[in-house]
Amino acid sequence: MSTVVEQIEQQIAKLSSKVVKKNTGTIRAVADGVAKLDGLSDVMYNEMVQFPGGAIGIALNLEADEVGCVVLGDVSTLKEGDEVQTTGKLLSVPVGKALLGRVVDALGRPVDGKGPIDSKEFYPVEKIAPGIMVRKSVNQPLFTGIMAIDSMIPIGRGQRELIIGDRGTGKTTICIDTIINQARINKVGLASGDKNFRPVYSIYVAVGQKQSNVVRTINALEAAGALEYTVLVAAPAADNPANQYLAPFSGAAIGEWFMENGMDALIVYDDLSKHAVAYRQISLILKRPSGREAYPGDVFYLHSRLLERAARLDGKGSLTALPVIETQAGDVSAYIPTNVISITDGQIFLETDLFNQGIRPAVSVGLSVSRVGSSAQIKVTKQVGGKLKGELAQFRELAAFAQFGSDLDPKTKAQLDRGARIVELFKQPQLNPLSIEMQASVLWALQKTYFDSIEVKSIVTAANSWKDYLTSRKDALLTKIRTEAKLTDEIEAGLKAAADEWKGTFSK
Amino acid sequence: MRADKKTKALAKQLFKLSVVNGAVSPEQVAGVLAYVEKVAPRNSLALLKLYQHAIVAELAKSHARVEHAGPLGANTLQLIAAAMTKKYSRPVTATAQANPKLLAGLRVRIGSDVYESTVSGQLATLSNAV
Repeated sequence: MSTVVEQIEQQIAKLSSKVVKKNTGTIRAVADGVAKLDGLSDVMYNEMVQFPGGAIGIALNLEADEVGCVVLGDVSTLKEGDEVQTTGKLLSVPVGKALLGRVVDALGRPVDGKGPIDSKEFYPVEKIAPGIMVRKSVNQPLFTGIMAIDSMIPIGRGQRELIIGDRGTGKTTICIDTIINQARINKVGLASGDKNFRPVYSIYVAVGQKQSNVVRTINALEAAGALEYTVLVAAPAADNPANQYLAPFSGAAIGEWFMENGMDALIVYDDLSKHAVAYRQISLILKRPSGREAYPGDVFYLHSRLLERAARLDGKGSLTALPVIETQAGDVSAYIPTNVISITDGQIFLETDLFNQGIRPAVSVGLSVSRVGSSAQIKVTKQVGGKLKGELAQFRELAAFAQFGSDLDPKTKAQLDRGARIVELFKQPQLNPLSIEMQASVLWALQKTYFDSIEVKSIVTAANSWKDYLTSRKDALLTKIRTEAKLTDEIEAGLKAAADEWKGTFSK
Repeated sequence: MRADKKTKALAKQLFKLSVVNGAVSPEQVAGVLAYVEKVAPRNSLALLKLYQHAIVAELAKSHARVEHAGPLGANTLQLIAAAMTKKYSRPVTATAQANPKLLAGLRVRIGSDVYESTVSGQLATLSNAV
């Protein structure tokens, strides 16, 4: 009996006298959210370090005699001489479906007051992007719900499409519309019971934005019923630069979980200009050498390693990235815009002039491109909108010339008239994405000259009337277009009959 | 006064000269100090501070500070020094320092490494886990 008890006691003694090895250092200086540390001889690059009081830091500068570390949290309680210790862990964030419908900070902690997040898995914030062999080409569409984009600059699942433009040109609106459209498609798809349906979950990363703008975005998503399919990562302007620098990487980690687990996800980085500014701030405080526009030399690598994580994986899911860049006075040749343009698979350029003329979304057809092209379009869109980009480009060119002359030949006049109608048709109110079947129906009517006899100023009214007519009376036809995804003779006959009937009612 | 690049490089060079066979040599350090006094390079104060910082960090690598709560025999101290000498492959000395805040157990600090087997440490781990 006593031997058994002794054995247990020995076991307890072994456990209780377990030696823990820690690697420690001391704070040499703290300023502007960055701490310089002595010691920490075993620290790894990007490793989390523990400060007294629970604050966490990330080791970003490993030098011969000191470690530069950004502090994520309250630095006011830290002082020179405080002990810091390594954790042996890379910075990780909680991932999984439990985050859907939640607003989190750059470390994945909830900030929406809805209680703790029940997440069992963690993904590292920094991760090497998938290699070539595991990738698959992008050929599945991701519908934005914006007719001008889906028909002319299609985006595919796994693509990286830049949204670029000046302040107040509708960049965020396009992103929010896309997220709302994914939610609508998800609802319809999941309700249909189709086993092959793949929902798209969205992650919206707000970097350096005003808190009021973040709240407006949350409210817009909630009102549209899209919040339940969305994760918001918020690093507003009031957050320290370290959080703003980390937020896109945290968002990417959250998105990667969906991709790795056979699901599709969309991530919006709004915006990477402010992200670059936050990184510049950190780099300057860390005394890293500065280069063009005072950005550090690795600012290209900062964005390329982030955007390379968007991919479509063979046998798994996909992560589509919509980075946003704000230009100054339409200058796309500045440092950060050119960097991100060269990294992404295309860009949607929004023009201030178009926006002010009332053409919204103010997509500049000439400067916008999707390098994935029509391989990310379904057949019905190709059938009805294949020539639109060319026609619109021709219209812009002719319109510029038409300003000088008064007499125009009938062919030129017809092209101008048609162009003006296309421009009107592409006008779309915000937070109102259109389903792909509705887009196809409208473009089909345009292709079949149903709008040619209508005054240009009445085109928007006519298009709305056509949409209302289809929604209220031809729901079965719309469902058929959605499920078949191409214009069959039967569908075309149905559309023709519907359009003839509608035309009669609209003319009256 | 902030040290410039040249001062940093000189401090590094002087530090390298002071280390012989992986240990700080008192004779070499005396020689370095005599040199600095004689030549009086630019930014002498900053130079000496950097030099001191490097020497202190190097000395800490060869010295184990053993904090303990309760009695600690000379034999245990010798055993710790021997174990550390073996682990770090360099001669390590050990000194004892009583610290009642540990409640019970030992904490050995050598360079930036800390080996802890104390009740206070375990309580702190427990409180962090809760």
